[in-house]
Amino acid sequence: MLDLSRVQKELVDCNRDKSSGVSIDLVGDQLSHLAGTISGPIGTPYEGGVFRIDIRLPDGYPFEPPKMQFVTKVWHPNISSQNGAICLDILKDQWSPALTLKTALLSLQALLSAPEPDDPQDAVVAQQYLRDYPTFLGTARYWTEAFARRVSIGTEEKVQKLVEMGFPEALVRTTLENAGGDENMALEKLCSG
Amino acid sequence: MGWIKVITKESLLVAQREDLRNIMDLLEVSEKHARTLLIHHRWDADSLLAVFLEKERDRLFSEAGVTIAEPNVLAPLQSSQVTCNICNEDVSADAVTTMDCGHGFCNNCWTEHFIVKINDGQSRRIRCMFYKCNTICDEAIVRNLVSAKHPDLAERFDRFLLESYIEDNHKVKWCPSVPHCGNAIRVDGDGYCEVECSCGLQFCFSCSAEAHSPCSCLMWELWVKKCRDESETVNWITVNTKPCPRCLKPVEKNGGCNHVRCICGQDFCWLCGCAADQHHARSSCGSYKEEREKKTGQAKRDLFRYMHYYNRYKAHTDSLKLESKLKKAIQDMETISDSKEFSIKDFSWLTNGLYRLFRSRRVLSYSYPFAFYMFGDDLFKDEMTPEERELKQHLFEDLQQQLGANVEKLSHFIEESFDEFLQVDRIMGIRMQVINLSALIDNLCKKMYEFIENDLLGRLERVTHNIAPYESKGVERASELSDSWDSDDSLSMKTCNVDSYLQWDSSANGAGSSESGSPTDDSFDQSSSLDESGCSSRKRAKKEALDDPPFNLNLPAEGFDKN
Repeated sequence: MLDLSRVQKELVDCNRDKSSGVSIDLVGDQLSHLAGTISGPIGTPYEGGVFRIDIRLPDGYPFEPPKMQFVTKVWHPNISSQNGAICLDILKDQWSPALTLKTALLSLQALLSAPEPDDPQDAVVAQQYLRDYPTFLGTARYWTEAFARRVSIGTEEKVQKLVEMGFPEALVRTTLENAGGDENMALEKLCSG
Repeated sequence: MGWIKVITKESLLVAQREDLRNIMDLLEVSEKHARTLLIHHRWDADSLLAVFLEKERDRLFSEAGVTIAEPNVLAPLQSSQVTCNICNEDVSADAVTTMDCGHGFCNNCWTEHFIVKINDGQSRRIRCMFYKCNTICDEAIVRNLVSAKHPDLAERFDRFLLESYIEDNHKVKWCPSVPHCGNAIRVDGDGYCEVECSCGLQFCFSCSAEAHSPCSCLMWELWVKKCRDESETVNWITVNTKPCPRCLKPVEKNGGCNHVRCICGQDFCWLCGCAADQHHARSSCGSYKEEREKKTGQAKRDLFRYMHYYNRYKAHTDSLKLESKLKKAIQDMETISDSKEFSIKDFSWLTNGLYRLFRSRRVLSYSYPFAFYMFGDDLFKDEMTPEERELKQHLFEDLQQQLGANVEKLSHFIEESFDEFLQVDRIMGIRMQVINLSALIDNLCKKMYEFIENDLLGRLERVTHNIAPYESKGVERASELSDSWDSDDSLSMKTCNVDSYLQWDSSANGAGSSESGSPTDDSFDQSSSLDESGCSSRKRAKKEALDDPPFNLNLPAEGFDKN
C-alpha cells in the first residue's frame, strides 16, 4: 500500500523548487511510476546535459527505497553504461524513510559530481577513470553531448517527424514522453515495438 | 567436562541469560542494550570487553547502535499536534514514539518500518528511521507496536532476537539433524571437536558434517564430494567393465560370449583380459599367472589409488554398521541374564569392549580418507619431499595396520561371546582378551593421533589443518544447561530414556500414582523415592546404563601384562 498522499506532497514540493535542478514528473496515471530529471552539475563532464531517471515506487515506499535507473545513457563509474543501473548506498541499505525522492535525486546529482570508482557499478568505466582520467573525461563529455544534450527542437516537430515515419500519433507522444523527449531513443523504442 | 551444552527451544533464554547478565553488570546497562551490544559483537563477550577497554565506552556504544537516552530528550512533547516527518500527517502527540536517539515519528510509520525490516530478516538490528541514525530501536517498542497489528510477526521478531544467540555466535551451532531436533550445541572452548547432541546425532562442531576425525574438515569435505562424484561410476565401472588391452577404455560385455571386441577394433578375452584371436580359448587363458605389469596411465593410477582407500574406508564403515547391531544384542543379553539363573551377571566388560570397538572402527575407517589426502597430491603436494612422504607413509601405515589387526581380533572375540552355548571358562577367557585388547587398541589410537598431530599435520608449513582430538571415551555428549543450583541430576535425568520412566510408573504399584499431573514431574518424584527405598538391581542397572556414559574405559594397566 503505497502512501499516496506522501508521494503527491513530494511531487508538489519538488517541482515548486525550480532552482534545485531536479524535477519529477508522472509517467502514466500511476503514482508508482515516475520520471525524474536532473541537470548535469556545472564543472563536470555532465554539464549541460539533462538526465532522465526512471523511478518506480515499491508498495512499501517510503519504508522501502525507491527503484531508480538512468534512462539517459551516461558514462560514470557508478552507473551502468549498459542499462543505467545505479550503485548508491541510499538506494539500498542506507535508505531511510526520512529521505525523499527529491533528496535521492539530489544525491544522484552529487554522485555525478563525485564518482566513487572504488565501489563501481561499471568496472570498465571505473578502470578508465582510475587509469586514464583524460580519456574518461572525454568519453563522459561525448556521451553527455550525444545522449543528454538539452532538447533543441520542439516536441511538436519531433512528433510530426515520427508520425511521418509511419507511427500512430498517440503512441509517438507517450513514447516520446517516456524517453524524456529524446527523439532517437523514442525511435529506438518504437522500432523495437 | 560439561563444556559442551545442548540448548533446546526451552533453554535458549537461559543459555544467553548469563552472557546478558555479565554485560549488564559490567557496563551497567539494561538488558535490551546488553543484547544489542552482544549481537553487534556476535555474542563474544571477551571481544566486546576488549573494545570497551581499548576504546572508550561511548565509542563502543555508538558503533553498536546503543544510545542511552538523555532524560530531557524523553520529556513529553509540548504541543498536542505534531507533524510526522515521514508521512507528513498531523498526529496527536501521544501517537508519536521517540526512540532513545531522540528521533520521533508517528506510530503508524514506525510500525510500517518495523514490519518491512522484520520481513526483510533484519530483526536483530532495526535502526532508527532517521537518515544516518545508527541507533538500534528499542526491542520493547518494536514488540508493542508490531503486535498491535501483526501478533504473529511480533512473535517472529522475538524468536529472531532469541535465535541470534545461535545464529550470530561462533560458539553455538544448530544440530544438523534431519529432521531437525530443534536443539543447538554450545561449545565453550576449542571449536575443533566432535559432539553428540541429546537427539543422539554425532557431528563435527567445526563444520557440522558427520564426525570425521582424524580427517580435517577440508579433507572430509573433499572426500565426501569425491565419493559422491565417483562412487556410482567407479563402482559400476569396476564391477561391470574390463579395460580394453589396447585403448584401455572400460568395455562392457553385452552378450554371453567371452570373446569381446572393443569399439577400437581390438578383440580380447573377457576372462583374462588379454588380446585374443579365435583360438585363444584353447590356450593358456585359464592358467593362473602373476599380474603382469601393465602400462597404466596417470588417470588409472589415480583411480586405483582412490579405490584402494575408498574400499578400505567403506569396508570399515560397513563393519561398523553391522557391529552396531550388537548393541541391541547386549541389552537383550543383560535382560536375560537378569531374569534367568545365569552364572555371569556382569557384562560391563562386553559393553566397554563393544564401545571400544565402535570407537576404534571409526578411527580406522576415517584414517583411510586421511591417508588418501595426507600422502596424495591434492592437498600437500609441496609440503614434503617424496622421500619424507614415503617414510612417513610407511610409519603411518604400520600404525594403521597394527590398529586394524587388533580391531579385527576384538571384533572376533566380541562376536564369539554372543554364542549362547559357550562354557563359563571360555567366556572368562574371552573376557580377558576383550579387556586386554580394548586397552591395547585405545593405546594404538592414541599413538596414531599423536603421530598425526605431531609428525604429519603439525609439520605442515603452508596450511593449517586442525582435527578433533582423540577422546578415549568417544564423542562427548552435550549436557543440558542448568540455570543455577537447579540440580544437574534432575536435568540429566530428563535426557534419559522416557521408556525407563514409564516402566517405573507401571511398576510403582500405585505408591506414586495417586499424584496425578504431568507424567514427567511425577516420575521425577517417584524415581527419587524409589531410589531411596531401594529399587531392584535390574532397575538400578538400567538406570546407570542410561545415565552415565555407558562405557568406562579407565581400565587397569595390569590387564595388559597378563596377556
